[in-house]
Amino acid sequence: MRIAQPTAVPAVGPQQMQALVAAGRRNQLAFAIIGLACTMFAVLVLLAAFLDLLFDGLPRLSWDFMTSFPSRRAADAGILSAWVGSALVMLVTMLSAVPIGIGAAVYLEEYGGKNWLTDLIEINVTNLAGVPSIVYGLLALGLFVYQFGFGESILTAGLTLALLILPVVIVASREALRAVPGNIREAAYALGATRWQMISGHLLPYSRGGILTGIILGMAEAIGQTAPLIAIGALTFIAFLPPPPLVETAPFISLDWLWAEFTVLPIQMFNWVSRPDRAFQANAAAAGIILLAMCLLMNALAIYIRYQVRKKIKW
Amino acid sequence: MVIATAAAADAVHAVAGLPLKAEADNLRFYYGDFQGLKGVSMKLYANKVTALIGPSGCGKSTFLRCFNRMHDLYPGNRYEGEIRLHPDNVNILGRSVDPIEVRMRIGMVFQKPNPFPKSIYDNVAYGLRVRGMKNKAHLDDKVEEALRSAALWEEVKGRLPELAFNLSGGQQQRLCIARALATDPELLLFDEPTSALDPIATASIEELMTELKRRVTILIVTHNMQQAARVSDFTAYMYLGELIEFGDTDQIFIKPMKKETEDYITGRFG
Amino acid sequence: MAGGDHSSKVYDQELETIRSRVLQMGGLVESQFRLAVDAFEAGDLAEAERVVSADRRVNDLEIELDRAVNHVIARRQPTAVDLRLIMGVSRAIPELERIGDEASKIARAVKWMREKQVTVRMPRIPDIRASADLAAALLRRSLDAFARMDVAAAASIIRDDQGVDERFRAILRQLITFMMEDPRTISASIDMVWVAKAIERIGDHSKNIAEHVIFIAAGADVRHASPDEVARLVART
Repeated sequence: MRIAQPTAVPAVGPQQMQALVAAGRRNQLAFAIIGLACTMFAVLVLLAAFLDLLFDGLPRLSWDFMTSFPSRRAADAGILSAWVGSALVMLVTMLSAVPIGIGAAVYLEEYGGKNWLTDLIEINVTNLAGVPSIVYGLLALGLFVYQFGFGESILTAGLTLALLILPVVIVASREALRAVPGNIREAAYALGATRWQMISGHLLPYSRGGILTGIILGMAEAIGQTAPLIAIGALTFIAFLPPPPLVETAPFISLDWLWAEFTVLPIQMFNWVSRPDRAFQANAAAAGIILLAMCLLMNALAIYIRYQVRKKIKW
Repeated sequence: MVIATAAAADAVHAVAGLPLKAEADNLRFYYGDFQGLKGVSMKLYANKVTALIGPSGCGKSTFLRCFNRMHDLYPGNRYEGEIRLHPDNVNILGRSVDPIEVRMRIGMVFQKPNPFPKSIYDNVAYGLRVRGMKNKAHLDDKVEEALRSAALWEEVKGRLPELAFNLSGGQQQRLCIARALATDPELLLFDEPTSALDPIATASIEELMTELKRRVTILIVTHNMQQAARVSDFTAYMYLGELIEFGDTDQIFIKPMKKETEDYITGRFG
Repeated sequence: MAGGDHSSKVYDQELETIRSRVLQMGGLVESQFRLAVDAFEAGDLAEAERVVSADRRVNDLEIELDRAVNHVIARRQPTAVDLRLIMGVSRAIPELERIGDEASKIARAVKWMREKQVTVRMPRIPDIRASADLAAALLRRSLDAFARMDVAAAASIIRDDQGVDERFRAILRQLITFMMEDPRTISASIDMVWVAKAIERIGDHSKNIAEHVIFIAAGADVRHASPDEVARLVART
């Protein structure tokens, strides 16, 4: 077997080498600067928006602000009904989206099988993530408000937003489930586990980091939704709270609050911003800070969970 | 064993008298349209190590995974023929036989060590818990016994609650062996168990196999012929889904009967 | 032999080198033997000296071959037919080396005979030549059988060695007769016994080489089997 002789390559002299290296270094520097400029631009714009918000809204933040109802007088207006409404709607969203989302992900991943039906479902789920949120609002209006008769209530809002974030939860859960290596599943089966034992004992626990992250990110998205909620009839001026969940008489738990009328933070902000009075703009900014803070908090929580889980699990 | 006289030449394959643990009878396996195993018939002798060798794609892993019905986990697979498990002579590929039951009698150790992201204790106890064992004292005993059998007890006895991932590669693989042993399997399947390990870890696992065969029958797939020569009592050479030759390991490595076997073993293959 | 080449050409080369060295060593001791018997018959002292000093070359080959065999074992972990070849060769090498030694003994006997020939007249013993020819043929045939890995040829060598043994016994009887008739021939006769014995030993070593050929080619160890058993085995392969 003859090994081909290497063809003669013209030797690069030391000076040419230096010129090449210098040119390369210049290019590197140019790209670094361009990249940095783009990043800074984006960051600065965001920072500017944020600072503007802070500047406008910070003076208005106070305990009173958090605990007062909206009012026609800007100085007295508060976000009590708004943030309570947001919290309750998020609760319903979470309680509906999480089981359905995880269940769908487990089905698609484990029970689905490789047939056209599963493919169809998968494609549709991913496409749903791109549907404009107002469309969800219209769907909810026809289905929940009129067809099922839930009315313009917290229940409807929660279900609408659940539909909205379902694709996110399903996809994130699926990715988390997929990340569990096949040989772990095989190891579980090889020890005599049934499919459900494998899912409940291994698959779900090991992927809870990813699933939780998906849920939290979905919630962070849902909390800022305005259009679909307007479509289903969230009110913009509510000066009362929904009925409390705990009551004095048996059975001590009341579900009346589900059927109550409501408003949420983004809608309250929208309402205030539309008013000509400048003082209301400040209110809107203050509410915006609260909303932003809640989003950032949720994102931070997601990151923290991911970090904790990654310490324990090394695939 | 080298034949002392011509008369003894006939005796080399007569292993009558050795108890059987399992027997494959005209086993065929289909993955969709593709036939992965073409009528394999082979005996597994109790408390012996049988090695499966052959080039890539010859079907040895496919054959191995039929024993614990691993193929059932993936769609499109079909078995024909039988694998009978002794002493009760049940066909483990039968439709009426639950694969979960089969897997409770036949354990498997995989190529890449795959401990669960749980503690060492929980890893070994998993198989027992799946069978419903809850008594803590019982579990403790069985976990210790399994870890001792896997030659791992001394190294981990003080850190059972620690995560299994903190162990070295060789230790993790021994942990997987302990995990499989905890449930007292009758047959243990090894799928290239040392191909991801360094030579020292490999040697310790091979040593372990020689010990383990006293209590369990072993079927091992290996692409390392020297390993097959070192640890096995019987060797089977497979090629393109067929069993070409099966025999006593000494005989296969000194005087194989088929030219194809000899070509593969001496490296004259391909 | 198993057809086809190893995936490693170097390995093939190593085994081929070992095979040809064995044949080279065989050719060398063959010619040693022939020259020694010629020197013995002609009483040629110079020729005898050459045979004795050439034995050194045989010893060198023995060491070289052993080294090659060790190398293959250490590096290649030979199996099946390669293993049998290496084992068979490592057993055949000392046989060849001893054939060389026996040839040297015959050559040394020329010196002793020359010292005694002056005083005593020895009756010629034609059987020495015939016996030597038979043994030489056995040696040639065993080297051929090794080259061709011919089991049937090897089996016939094992059988025919009995002829060489018988001839030795016949020579011994003749020499005993001479010694009884004329005691002055005892010393020379005893030297003759050594020569005849050396020839008989060469026949035995050739037979041993044939046994190793059967092990390499057929995997059967026939070192202590009777010729009948060997014939049966050959018929089967």
